[in-house]
Amino acid sequence: MEGISRRGLLASAAIIAGSGAAARAAAQELPAHERELYEAARREGQVTWYSGQQSAETSEAVGRAFGERYPGVHVNVVRSTSQVAFQRLSQDIRAGVAQCDVFSSTDYSHSTFLKRQGRLMAYRPRNAEGLMEFVRKAGDPDDQFHVFYIGVHLISRHTRQVSAEEAPKSWQDLLDPKWRGKLAVGHPGFSGAIGAWAVLMRKMYGWDYFTKLERNQPQIGRSSIDPVTALNAGERSIGVAVPSATALLSISRGNPQELIYPTDGTVVIPSPSCIQKNAPHPNAAKLFMEFATGPEYFRTTRRYFSESLRSDVPPPEGAAPLSAIKIIMPTPQEVESGVPEVKEQWRDTFGI
Amino acid sequence: MTDSAAILAKPAALEARRSGLLRRLRYLEPSNLLWVLLVAALLFLVAVPIGKLLIVSFEEQGTGAFTLSNYATAYGRARYLEALGNSLMLGALSSLFSVVFAVPMAWAVSRTDMPGKGFTWAMVMGAFIMPPYLGAVGWILLAGPNSGFLNQAWSWLTGIEAPLVNVYSFTGLALVIALHSFPLIFIFVKSALDLISSEMEDAANILGAGTLTAMRKVTLPLVWPAVLGGIIVVFLETVALFGTPAIIGIPARINVVTTQLWQFFEYPVRVEVAAAYAMPLLLITIGMIAVQKLLLARKGFVSQTGKGGERRPIRLGGWRWALLGYCVFVGALSVLMPLAVLLQASFAKAWGRGLSFSNLTLDNYAYLLFRHEMALTSIWNTLWFSAAAATAAVIIAVLVAYIVARRLVPFGSALGFLAMAPFVIPGIVMAIGFYAAYAAPPVALYGTALIIILAFTARFLPIAFANSSAAVRAVHPEMEEASRILGGGRLLTIRRITAPLISRSLIGGWLIVFIVASRELSAAVFLVGPRTRTMAVLLYDLSEAGNFEVLAAFGGLLLAITLVLVAIGMKLAGRDFMLRRN
Amino acid sequence: MPRLTLKGLGKAYGPLKVVDNVDLTLEEGEFVSLLGPSGCGKTTTLRMIAGFIEPTEGSITMNGEVLSAPGAVLPPERRRMSMIFQSYAIWPNMTVAENVGFGLKLQKLPGAEVKARIGRILEVVKMSHLADRYPAELSGGQQQRVALARAIVVQPSVLLLDEPLSNLDANLREEMRFEIRRLHDEFRITTVYVTHDQAEAMATADRIAVMNAGRIEQVDAPHLIYTRPRTRFVAAFIGRTNLLEGRLANGEIGLDGFALRAAQLGGAVPDSARPILLSVRPQSMALHRTPPVAREGHPLLPATVSQRTYLGESWDYVVRPQESGLQLRVTAPPLQVHEVGEKVWLEFDPQQIAVVN
Repeated sequence: MEGISRRGLLASAAIIAGSGAAARAAAQELPAHERELYEAARREGQVTWYSGQQSAETSEAVGRAFGERYPGVHVNVVRSTSQVAFQRLSQDIRAGVAQCDVFSSTDYSHSTFLKRQGRLMAYRPRNAEGLMEFVRKAGDPDDQFHVFYIGVHLISRHTRQVSAEEAPKSWQDLLDPKWRGKLAVGHPGFSGAIGAWAVLMRKMYGWDYFTKLERNQPQIGRSSIDPVTALNAGERSIGVAVPSATALLSISRGNPQELIYPTDGTVVIPSPSCIQKNAPHPNAAKLFMEFATGPEYFRTTRRYFSESLRSDVPPPEGAAPLSAIKIIMPTPQEVESGVPEVKEQWRDTFGI
Repeated sequence: MTDSAAILAKPAALEARRSGLLRRLRYLEPSNLLWVLLVAALLFLVAVPIGKLLIVSFEEQGTGAFTLSNYATAYGRARYLEALGNSLMLGALSSLFSVVFAVPMAWAVSRTDMPGKGFTWAMVMGAFIMPPYLGAVGWILLAGPNSGFLNQAWSWLTGIEAPLVNVYSFTGLALVIALHSFPLIFIFVKSALDLISSEMEDAANILGAGTLTAMRKVTLPLVWPAVLGGIIVVFLETVALFGTPAIIGIPARINVVTTQLWQFFEYPVRVEVAAAYAMPLLLITIGMIAVQKLLLARKGFVSQTGKGGERRPIRLGGWRWALLGYCVFVGALSVLMPLAVLLQASFAKAWGRGLSFSNLTLDNYAYLLFRHEMALTSIWNTLWFSAAAATAAVIIAVLVAYIVARRLVPFGSALGFLAMAPFVIPGIVMAIGFYAAYAAPPVALYGTALIIILAFTARFLPIAFANSSAAVRAVHPEMEEASRILGGGRLLTIRRITAPLISRSLIGGWLIVFIVASRELSAAVFLVGPRTRTMAVLLYDLSEAGNFEVLAAFGGLLLAITLVLVAIGMKLAGRDFMLRRN
Repeated sequence: MPRLTLKGLGKAYGPLKVVDNVDLTLEEGEFVSLLGPSGCGKTTTLRMIAGFIEPTEGSITMNGEVLSAPGAVLPPERRRMSMIFQSYAIWPNMTVAENVGFGLKLQKLPGAEVKARIGRILEVVKMSHLADRYPAELSGGQQQRVALARAIVVQPSVLLLDEPLSNLDANLREEMRFEIRRLHDEFRITTVYVTHDQAEAMATADRIAVMNAGRIEQVDAPHLIYTRPRTRFVAAFIGRTNLLEGRLANGEIGLDGFALRAAQLGGAVPDSARPILLSVRPQSMALHRTPPVAREGHPLLPATVSQRTYLGESWDYVVRPQESGLQLRVTAPPLQVHEVGEKVWLEFDPQQIAVVN
């Protein structure tokens, strides 16, 4: 008994000593502003990140990359769809519990709402200066939230079921009855990106677009990623409003898919992230913001086919440069007032 | 004597009071305090959450003022009412399917000379321990209208484009649910059939009834109460099920009560409306039990409890192979096929590419075990939450069962009622009740491990109670009295005599609670915080992310853990410990 | 000071009185049996003595100390009693020796003494060779012996037995009856023994308390209970008897068709004129084919055999005295055969006739 406990003690001592050494080594390579935050963050030991932005796999990779850069600070990655992430945060707020440090979703209105409620902490990450200009502008002028992720949503086709010639070229083409039973799409009640996409479609073509889409009997998943899965399986042949990153990842694994950049505009959704005012680990949260706006983050996510938002990191393999395509982007106001409306309209039209 | 001498010196009034107190202390059983604690625990676990749910449904959000508007909101839209109707239809349909699956199998195993009974047992057990949402994922892979293996095989064989089966349909949903709930009816019906003596059938045979007529006119009517009880349980389980409707129902565009409840938990969280919307589930439950009472009141089913008479298997001749075929068919649908595709997917790089060496990988498992931030934590969470809940449930249950069986307190049966009450409260309603009662300050349990453990404890208390109460009743009270008269106090007797005698059954009960808690989704999904996610919730989250390979691998891990536990259970508590009906 | 006193003891469940005003006193070393039909309250009385049931009336006193009274019941474990149960209640998870030693260990006796006493008592009940067996490996009779040993080894101030032999087969039951009495003679433990079997009570007890409908009808030595039953219930319950209604007047007891002289009867006879009930045991009469030599005070009546049953050890005749509506059961030896309808002479032994209240 005694022997075991002593051995356990020695082992944990070794781990502490080891991590201390690693931490010192890591700290020396960091820029000054990060080093300072890192020292404070290390005392907090962890940071909890509610995220609905990246895929689960990418989010986990971000968490690991953070841990490697800043040893001793652990990221609790709580990845779900954006609406579920916000639902969790709302339940926290309602229950009066502070668990979340950094909140990221694909739904603009989440952050603006939290800002209005006075629940956010203003912080301007130094690393944000290196972000592309349109991204920087999409953040909050008061620095209460920032954008380090944009969703790029477009159409994808199953290459064996749909040839390049007959494939739809635009959002409008999807209404053609020949796609009946072939489409797959996410749900605005679960995915903020789908909500934003629906707001844009409604703005461009009216709600009528969806009543017509309904006639084509799309398979409705939950997240915007679901259609990618449905295509991989061969369950459906056209993915609607799929995120480019997930689709590219799937393609890289040998799945028979190809991206279609719609002629009436690829949907780009700036997705804000914010630090909670009552964050239990405020310094770690700030450090996470620095990390997520810095080059290391984009070097990590790029491997999972997320767009790079810094000019010092190239775009992911197989993606068209953002400058070469037609982009449509909703304003924060449109998203904030529009998404709740389209959610209800969607449920009335699709019955779910 | 010296005591009283000392007291005599004091004023008479004081003496009277003192001796009264001393006397009372002398006569007090130290265990009485424990009963008070138990009552408090049961109120905390069962009565308060349900009471709070009821109260909250009449409260205005924020102010807490009395209002009926929650009910107006909850039932004010056709879509919400439609979801309610869908749930009732789904419950009815999946009960029907379950009966069709279970009753012939139960009859075959209990009364006939069908071969392969062990296999049939294993299939029923497998269907029982496989979490329903995992089965749902399996069936998506099998019966997706275009990509499902079954449909692909069908069009490859026949050249017909139209799918053979479509999981994304009302029938598909009901069928998938039934495939994992029929074991409940099987257990009920089989244990009832086991009690019927062959003489009942002989009596019908001698009067000229053939095997089939005897079964139809005598045997089955006698087990009708068991069938009905099973139907009610399956109906209630179905109506309260969250995972399968969320996974299959949404793509099939079928909204049910539970997915609608989930919507009320979207921002802004409307617990009040959710509470109001949950009320029909409670009413349905009460109604079903009333119906059961009504239907069973008229006829006697005495022979069910009869012990006399021998039980011989009925000789079926060639028909026994047909019956075995049916059992294999149900086993294939519920266990073998979903399990096979899940395993295939879990070892595949891309499951759509099918079986080939180039498609084979261990990476899905490796990713979960070594690179995923949450997977190991959630496994650990699941293990210790379930263990804690099982321990708490068994301790409370055995104490209550003991009080009730030994009639130690005047209103003991009320305790028993409280302990059984969660049985008829849908898990999802229980979770909302817990959220309403304990999430917010002053208790502020939201996001803690404790609230999940407590909710699991309450939810599975009836299982533990039924198990413990059977175990306690099997111990003759004289076993304890023999110890007490020799000088053992009540608690010492429980510790030294009763506990060792019932420990085997209790271990079985503990494991059952552990297993069902480890896969519980409906109650957990509303109560988990970022660091308290369980395997079931993570599995659900993974199903949102749409990566079926990783999802299947995680399901594989969950099943592996469950199987280890079941194996331990069989070793410690007997082969059929999961399927015994108490 | 008596060892155990029940005073006005009663137990009611709502309006139902299960035990009603029971008074009973046991001297040290005495063996008393509570005998009665099922539901008479004997087991409830025993369980009140043990402390498992709280009385609603009266008290139980041991060595002058009140153990039970309404609202104040000393728990069983503090009564220094022991008990043998109908089911034996041998703990299946303990060996014979562990079962027997349980009470001794609770008394915190030193290990060596516990061991010695277990050894001794197992020898007494002839179970030494089975000390390490588990109960499942024992026969019913052996389990019973373990129960006896377990109860006796603690040297209780009172030993309680609740129908201990009812689960044994007939031969074993007889053997154990004597065993229980032998152990009592050896240890002289004050004992209360509940049974519905009169033979058991007769064979074991110093005194028998016959209970009926919650009350004690009579407490007496076994032979007095049999020969001098004081109530109609006791007379009918203990053995078989003919209950005859008569009328006492002028020293004569007038019966249907004949009369007996009151002075001839054994035991006390009331002297005032009034209706009276007699208990006449079937063994106390004899049948004769021809009138026997008349014995002083033995009334002789002509009678007719109306039924007969052969029981192996004896004949059971029903005879009707001439000019009487009475039907009397009479026991006769196996070789004394009478046909139905035969005329016989019926001889009474007045000493064996008891007057019942």
